[in-house]
Amino acid sequence: MKAEDFLEKNEVREMTILSQLISHHGSISYNDMLDHLSVSKASLENDLESIKSWTATSNQCIAIHYDGQTINLKLGDEMSLLQIYRRYLDQSVKTKIITFLFKYQKFTITQLAQKLAISESSLFRKIKELNNYLKEFNIKIRNGRFDGEELQIRYFYFQFYYYIEDKRKLLSQFTSNQLTQTIQSLENYLKVTISSENKQKLRIWLIISKMRITIKKLQTDYLRNQMQPYLKDPLYHKIQVMVFRYFSRYSIEVDEGEAMLHFAYLLAFSILSENDFHEYRLLRDRHAPIASLDTYIAETIIIHFNYRRLPYMLEREMYYHLTHMHTLLYFFRGDIEYYDETVFIQEKQPVGKTLNPFAEKLLETSTWKFDNQMERQKSLLTILLSKYLSLLVFITSKMTKVLQVGIDLKLDDLYKETLSELLISKIRPLNGVHSERYVSHKKYDLILTNETQHDSDQYNEARVYVLSKILSSYDMRNIQRILQELNT
Amino acid sequence: MKVVIIGASFAGVAAALETRKRHPKAKIVLLEKQTTLAYIPNGLHLYWRNEIADLNEARFITEEQLEESRIDYYLEANVKKINTSQKIITYHYFGKYEMIAYDKLIIAAGSKQLSEKIKGSAQESVLKYKRYEEAEAALLKVKASERITIIGGGQVGIEAADLLSTQKKKVTMIESMDYIMFKYLDEDMIQPIQRKMIDRGIDLKLGKTVSTIDAVSDHEVNVHFADDSVTSESVIMSVNVRPHLPFLDTHIAQHTDQTIAVDRYLRTSIKDVFAVGDCIQLSGPDNDQVYIPLINNAVRTGIVAAANLNEPELEFKGSLRTIGTNVFGYYVASTGMTEGESLFSNHKVKTTRQKIKLTSLQNANTVTVKWIYDAETHVLLGAQMISTVNILEKINTLALAIETRQTIEDLQQKDYFFHPSYTQMIATTNLVSWMGERVDGDEG
Ligand SMILES: Cc1cc2nc3c(=O)[nH]c(=O)nc-3n(C[C@H](O)[C@H](O)[C@H](O)COP(=O)(O)OP(=O)(O)OC[C@H]3O[C@@H](n4cnc5c(N)ncnc54)[C@H](O)[C@@H]3O)c2cc1C
Repeated sequence: MKAEDFLEKNEVREMTILSQLISHHGSISYNDMLDHLSVSKASLENDLESIKSWTATSNQCIAIHYDGQTINLKLGDEMSLLQIYRRYLDQSVKTKIITFLFKYQKFTITQLAQKLAISESSLFRKIKELNNYLKEFNIKIRNGRFDGEELQIRYFYFQFYYYIEDKRKLLSQFTSNQLTQTIQSLENYLKVTISSENKQKLRIWLIISKMRITIKKLQTDYLRNQMQPYLKDPLYHKIQVMVFRYFSRYSIEVDEGEAMLHFAYLLAFSILSENDFHEYRLLRDRHAPIASLDTYIAETIIIHFNYRRLPYMLEREMYYHLTHMHTLLYFFRGDIEYYDETVFIQEKQPVGKTLNPFAEKLLETSTWKFDNQMERQKSLLTILLSKYLSLLVFITSKMTKVLQVGIDLKLDDLYKETLSELLISKIRPLNGVHSERYVSHKKYDLILTNETQHDSDQYNEARVYVLSKILSSYDMRNIQRILQELNT
Repeated sequence: MKVVIIGASFAGVAAALETRKRHPKAKIVLLEKQTTLAYIPNGLHLYWRNEIADLNEARFITEEQLEESRIDYYLEANVKKINTSQKIITYHYFGKYEMIAYDKLIIAAGSKQLSEKIKGSAQESVLKYKRYEEAEAALLKVKASERITIIGGGQVGIEAADLLSTQKKKVTMIESMDYIMFKYLDEDMIQPIQRKMIDRGIDLKLGKTVSTIDAVSDHEVNVHFADDSVTSESVIMSVNVRPHLPFLDTHIAQHTDQTIAVDRYLRTSIKDVFAVGDCIQLSGPDNDQVYIPLINNAVRTGIVAAANLNEPELEFKGSLRTIGTNVFGYYVASTGMTEGESLFSNHKVKTTRQKIKLTSLQNANTVTVKWIYDAETHVLLGAQMISTVNILEKINTLALAIETRQTIEDLQQKDYFFHPSYTQMIATTNLVSWMGERVDGDEG
């Protein structure tokens, strides 16, 4: 599901208006806005009205003006689009249903309708809508409580508190010495060091687990099934011992299911550092599903790029990321899409564009390898695709040698200087490329010139590209293509 | 002043007697849902040990003693509701609902042996015997059984395994952790007992958690764990006990684990309501809040609550989880923090394990002692002992040492008697590197 699925249609539109305004430097004409939204003018006016009414109480942090011609937005220095988004999410009825459910574990329709000050029938409708989105997590709200695999329920809450609801609110409600102590104990037990950012993730997870622990019948059938190859896993074993010992100190009954939940979480959400993970990787069973998929994908990547092998540390890092992705794919379903990093890599980065088909192929391979008759959900796959892609970008950019480009323009001095500089500045944003004015006898990978050469030896081994029209986009495309060829 | 106490077991009775001592004029009422009074929870073990001839002898106090102290008690009085705003308790008594008002209320409703995770654990062939009636039923059932499966390798489970294997029963013991009695002993200390169990033909299944129990016929049940199962005529549940408090009103704050939240004076979140015994958490060996359901804690919390009825006078000092028992020919005892548990604590600990002769005689018996102490300050944090002779009383010395924050060096200075038939050069409870045969451990 998407973060905006927690919002109502009109709220999404309001968000879009604000985000359009921000990307247009705070001012946009009615016509452009109407085009973008494809709504009637009356409905735009409504949305603007609604924005105005809440921004009026926002202490000048944000102010909107409109006159039927243009819309203007003023943001305080401290205000960001993300904060605005947060505010919408905070107000949303669907968000409130989930936070209520989290706090009390169950509700009656009457009780919740009263609490949210909405009618019972509209509460029903909201729950129905939510359930529709929750399908991809394979859970649903039924009889006033969550129904489904425990791992999926906690995973959904985790995504919810990590991306949707303000996590600081949750953390400040619960942060206690006990939590800090628990994380410290985990570090002691596993003999690992957890970074402060990961500690925060872990805190959220532990708070969720704490809220869920006393629920009588937790469903763990699917998890137990998936855990079969991991019952002797060294990390799982340690977690199991710790879980049993930890809860033996309270009057809380747990079974292996609880340990399995934590095992899946720790691995999928990269809680361990690369170093600690590496220690584990040396001990784990290489034939278990996740490890063997890691190897398969790693080899596919190496073969694809014709690398003989990766530098030791880079290979370790690749495995580190692959395990997280594959653990996610192996145990979990569904996702809340929040960041637009996919778009960023795919559209803004030329490398992303060419790597995308390969990332898709990897994703296809891994979903096929893990085929378990369970229909995989789109959001999780989207996230995984973007993860594969960023891993590929990461590896290729690490592996790229810096290509030397020499610019040798045969022109009048003044033009030569200017156009060379302009060309250099156009090439500069490309990854792994260094360009300069041609220096004779220096070794280059690519020479850009405007005249066909006569002396074939002049540039030694270097490849030569003759510019058809200096600074044309046609040339730029060709140059990019050649650079990529040179790199593989 | 009218003091009402829910539950007339160790905690409730101790609270009643202490209240009488402090408040000669108070009216004291004990409400107890059982049909009999003051049954000792491991009475069945005493019977199997031939230490009592009849389960009925396993009583820690008599009705006469209560009457002498002018304590009113109602048996078969099952408390159903408490209303803390009006200070009224509703209980079910011989087919009718009765109400009683209180000035001070002490909740001593203890704990039950129950599992919510093990499917089928509520059926009849699954034995529990904390209560008198349960013990009577278990006694008969076990008599008629050849094969017995025990779920849970804590103190109760291991005692039962020992006693039943002596009766030539075929015993299977299933324990979630990698070794038995893990709450009290470290893995290195428990080895002799585990070996002895295997020698005695006990099928020891470690690292296995029971998921389901189902009846296969009138007299046979299957216990399932991981991908395995075992068949027997009866099953003994010796898993952790848990409070069962359906009668609480919502004003009384509870912890996540359903225990009642109390302060150091054992006051609950509601004025004039106290909670004691197995239904609360205590400050444990590391001064953190933990659940330690033991009789000594029940009694001591009962006394402390009674002392604080009017004014907060006496703080509860906490529990070191001191235990002692005799199983499979070994006397074992433990107090304070174990090495395994120390990972939950802020202390960096050191440990030493020594085998020490108990007397100065040639053929002296030995005891293996493990000390757990703070690596920096050398303050003693925990101790464990195992021997083939009865050394149980010695653990109390070490418990006192921990409570009074003695260092390993302090202990060496303690006065002790010497008699060659009973002691050797140095008291057993001292860690002196040149005395014992070092088995293992860090530099002392
Ligand atoms: C088999 C077995 C053996 C044990 N052996 C030992 C041992 O050797 N040493 C040791 O230290 N510990 C032992 N324990 C632990 C020990 O039993 C408990 O720690 C101790 O009994 C706690 O005492 P208590 O008074 O708090 O609660 P309990 O003994 O549980 O008593 C609570 C009482 O409250 C009553 N009650 C509950 N609800 C209501 C209600 N609604 N209305 C009226 N009355 C109610 C119950 O009937 C019960 O009598 C053993 C436990 C078991 C199960």
